[in-house]
Amino acid sequence: MNTGNLQLSRIRKEYPGTVALEDLSITFQPGEVHALIGKNGAGKSTAVKILSGAVKPISGRIYLDGKELHFSSPSEAISRGIATVYQEMSLIPDLTIAENILFGRLPKKKTMGFTIIDWDAVYSKADNILKGMKIDLDVRMKVSQLDVAKQQIIEIAKAMSFEPRVLMLDEPTSALAHHEVQELFRLIKELRSKGVIIIYISHRLQELPGIADVITVLRDGKLTGTLKIKDALPEKLSELMFGEEVSRSEPLSYIQSDEVVLEVADLCAKNRLENVSFKVYKGEVLGIAGMLGSGRSELLRAVFGADKIESGKITITGKIINNPTPEKVKKFGFGMTPENRKEEGLVQILSVKDNLTLACLDRISEKGIIDRNTNKDLINKNITDLHIAVSDPGQPVNTLSGGNQQKVVIGNWLNTEPKIMFFDEPTRGIDVQAKQQIFSIIKDLSRQGISSVFVSTELEELLEVCNRVIVLQKGRVVNEINTEGLKLETLFESCMEA
Amino acid sequence: MKTGVKAMFRRSIMEIILVAICIILGFTAPNFFTTGNLLNVLRSVSMQGIIAFGMTMVIISGEIDLSVGSAVAMTGCLIAFLVQSGVPVVPAILITLIVGFLTGTFTGILRARFEVPSFITSLALLTGLKGLAFIITGGFPITSFPEWFNYLGGGYVLGIPFPAIVFLLVFGLAHFLMNYTTFGRAVYAVGGNAESARLSGINTGKIKILVLAATGMLAALSGIMLSARIMSGTPTVAQGWELDVIAAVIIGGTSLMGGSGTIWGTLIGVIFIGVIINGMTLLNVPIYTQYVVRGVLILSAVLINRVQQGKQQNS
Repeated sequence: MNTGNLQLSRIRKEYPGTVALEDLSITFQPGEVHALIGKNGAGKSTAVKILSGAVKPISGRIYLDGKELHFSSPSEAISRGIATVYQEMSLIPDLTIAENILFGRLPKKKTMGFTIIDWDAVYSKADNILKGMKIDLDVRMKVSQLDVAKQQIIEIAKAMSFEPRVLMLDEPTSALAHHEVQELFRLIKELRSKGVIIIYISHRLQELPGIADVITVLRDGKLTGTLKIKDALPEKLSELMFGEEVSRSEPLSYIQSDEVVLEVADLCAKNRLENVSFKVYKGEVLGIAGMLGSGRSELLRAVFGADKIESGKITITGKIINNPTPEKVKKFGFGMTPENRKEEGLVQILSVKDNLTLACLDRISEKGIIDRNTNKDLINKNITDLHIAVSDPGQPVNTLSGGNQQKVVIGNWLNTEPKIMFFDEPTRGIDVQAKQQIFSIIKDLSRQGISSVFVSTELEELLEVCNRVIVLQKGRVVNEINTEGLKLETLFESCMEA
Repeated sequence: MKTGVKAMFRRSIMEIILVAICIILGFTAPNFFTTGNLLNVLRSVSMQGIIAFGMTMVIISGEIDLSVGSAVAMTGCLIAFLVQSGVPVVPAILITLIVGFLTGTFTGILRARFEVPSFITSLALLTGLKGLAFIITGGFPITSFPEWFNYLGGGYVLGIPFPAIVFLLVFGLAHFLMNYTTFGRAVYAVGGNAESARLSGINTGKIKILVLAATGMLAALSGIMLSARIMSGTPTVAQGWELDVIAAVIIGGTSLMGGSGTIWGTLIGVIFIGVIINGMTLLNVPIYTQYVVRGVLILSAVLINRVQQGKQQNS
C-alpha cells in the first residue's frame, strides 16, 4: 500500500514558547499536486523546512516508498529524493542557464593532463534536461536575460536535474504576473504526468483550482482538513484556516476626528504602485493589508520618500510635499520604522544611546552642538517609557533582543515628536510580550492624537490595533474597511488576489 | 573593580604600549627625553598628522581619500605659483585652502550624486593632481616666497614649532566636532549604516561631501606649511603620504569598514609612528630596516585592536 508515496508520520516541532507542528501526519501521492495552505504561523514553513532538511523535527518519521528517510541537511534531502524550490531565487544572474542548472557538477574532461570543463557536454546535458521537461530555451543564454517566470522555470529545472521523487514548491507564483503563472502551471502539470510527487505551498487560494489536486489545511501547527479540489469551496477553506472567530481584546480609544492629517492622492511608482489614494485622520490607526508583493511596504516607503515616486500628491496638515525625501518629510512630522530594522532602522555598531537620537539630533542640540544633559535625560526617559531592557545606554544596540531593538527604532522616531508614524512590520521576529508593548505604544499615540499607519502580514494584528484598513492588490487600493465588527475571514478574503 | 581595571587596560592598550616604548627609548636612545627632541617628534608628525584627523572622519564615514599626498604637492606648488604671479601671500593662502576644499568636494559630489566610489575618484586625483603640480611648476621648484613665509613651516611660538601648534589646534577642533556636535554623530551613523542614516532623515550625501572637503582643505593647509618649510613649491614632495596617513589612522584603531574610530586614537597613532621613527633614527637603525619595522607596526596594531575587540565582545 505504501509504495510510491511520501508519508509524514506524527511530525512534531517545537520552538521556545510555541509548538510549530503538533503530530502532523500527511500522505502525498505520486502524480498529484498537493497544496499546503494556512495563514501565517500555521506551520507551513516549518513543514517545508523539515522536508527540505533545513531543520530537524523533535519526533516523527518520514517515509518514501515505505522506507524511512533520514537526513539532516538540504543536500542530504536532495540525495534522498526531495528537492525544494524556494520563494527566493538561488540562480546566479551572470551565468548561463546551463551553468546554473549544472552548478557545482559541471562535466569535466582531461586535455594534456589538465582537467578542464567540458563545455560541449555542459550544454548538451542541460539541453537534454530542458527538452525532457518540454522547455524551449537556449541553454547558452544568461539567466539575467530571462523574465521572472522563466527564471522560476529554470529554478525548477535545476531541482529536477537531480531526478527527485518529490518536488516541493514554496510560493512559486508570488513574484509572477497572471499570464506567467500559466507558463509555470504547464511545467508543473508536465512533471505531475511523470509521476513526481508535487507539494505546492501558496497563499493564493484562487489559483489552486487551476493546479492542485488535493488541498491540506494547517492551523496552529495542526492539520484541520484534507480535501479533494472539487470539494474545496472557498467558505469551507476559510473555516478550516481560521476556525473560531477572533475579535479585538479591548475597544480602541479612537479620538473621533474629522481632521485630516495626511492625504495621499493618485500616488504612482513604477511597477509598484498605481493611483493610490487614501486619507489618515488625526489620532487614527490605519492598517494596510494585502498579500506578499501587493505593495504594502512600497506604499509606506514611497510616501516617506525612501523610494522614488513618479507622480501623486502628498499633503500633510494642509501642506503639499513635493519630491519627498526622508530628510524633508521628517521636518513635516513623519516618522517611519522600516521593515528590516537591522539593515534599515539601526546602526548596529553604535550604542543604544546613539541609535535613539539618530533622527532627532536637532532636538538635543543647539547650533549643532549637543547638549549632553538634554541628551541624557531624553535617553533615560525613552528607556523607562518604552521599557527597553538595557543595562547601560552605552552598550551596542546589536546586543539587544529583537523586541528591544524594535523599541529603540520606535523611540528614535518618537523623539522627533511626529504627527504621524508609519510602522512597517513592527512585530516581525519579536516575542509576544514585546509585541503587546508595541501595540500599547501605538494605542497611546492614538490617545495623544498622533496618527499611525500600520503594515503587517498578520491580519489579526491589523484587527487588534487599527480603526480602519485599506486593502492593496498589485499596487492598487481595492477596498477600505472599518474594523468595527470585522471578521478575520472577511479581511482575508478581500486580500486574496483574483 | 578588577574587571574595571581590565576594561580600562583594554581600552587604552595603544596608549600603554606607546608609554612603554617611550620609557624604553628613554633608557636606550641618547637624548630621547630632551625637550628639543620631543618637539622635533611633534614637528615631524604634524604635517601628516593634520591630514590624518580629516582622514579619520573620512574613513569613519565609510569613504577613503587616496589623493592627499598629491594634494599636498599640488597646493604647495599652487601657492608658490600664485605668489610668483604677484598675488599677496594672505590671499594666496586663502585661494589655496579653497582649492583644497574644492578637490575634496569634487570627490564627495561624485560619490554622493553619481555613486562613484571615493577610492576611484581619489585614485584618479592621486595621479591627476601630481601631474597638475608638475604643470604648474614646469617641473622645477618655484622659489618665490618672502623670507617671513618660512615661519609658517619652520617657526616657533613660545618655543613650540608653528606646525605643531596647528596640529594640536586641528586635533582639538576635530575631537570637538566628532564628540560634541550633531555633525559628528551623523558621520558615525552614515559610516555605520548609510541606509539607516538616510531613513532617519540624515542627508548622507552632504555628510560625505563635507568630510572629504574638510580633508582636502587640511591637505592644502599641510601643503602650504610644507612649502613654507622648504621655501619652495616642489612637485615631488609628499609622495606616498596618503598611505602613511591611512596607516596612522588605522594604528589609532579606526575601522576601515566605517562607523567606528576616534580622533584621540588617531592622535596616538600619529605620535606612535613619529616616536618609532625618531627612536630608530636615534638608535642608528638603517632606513631600510625602518620601513620593515613600520610595516610590522601597522599589522601588529591592527591585530592587537582586533584581539581586544574580540575579548570585549566576549566579556
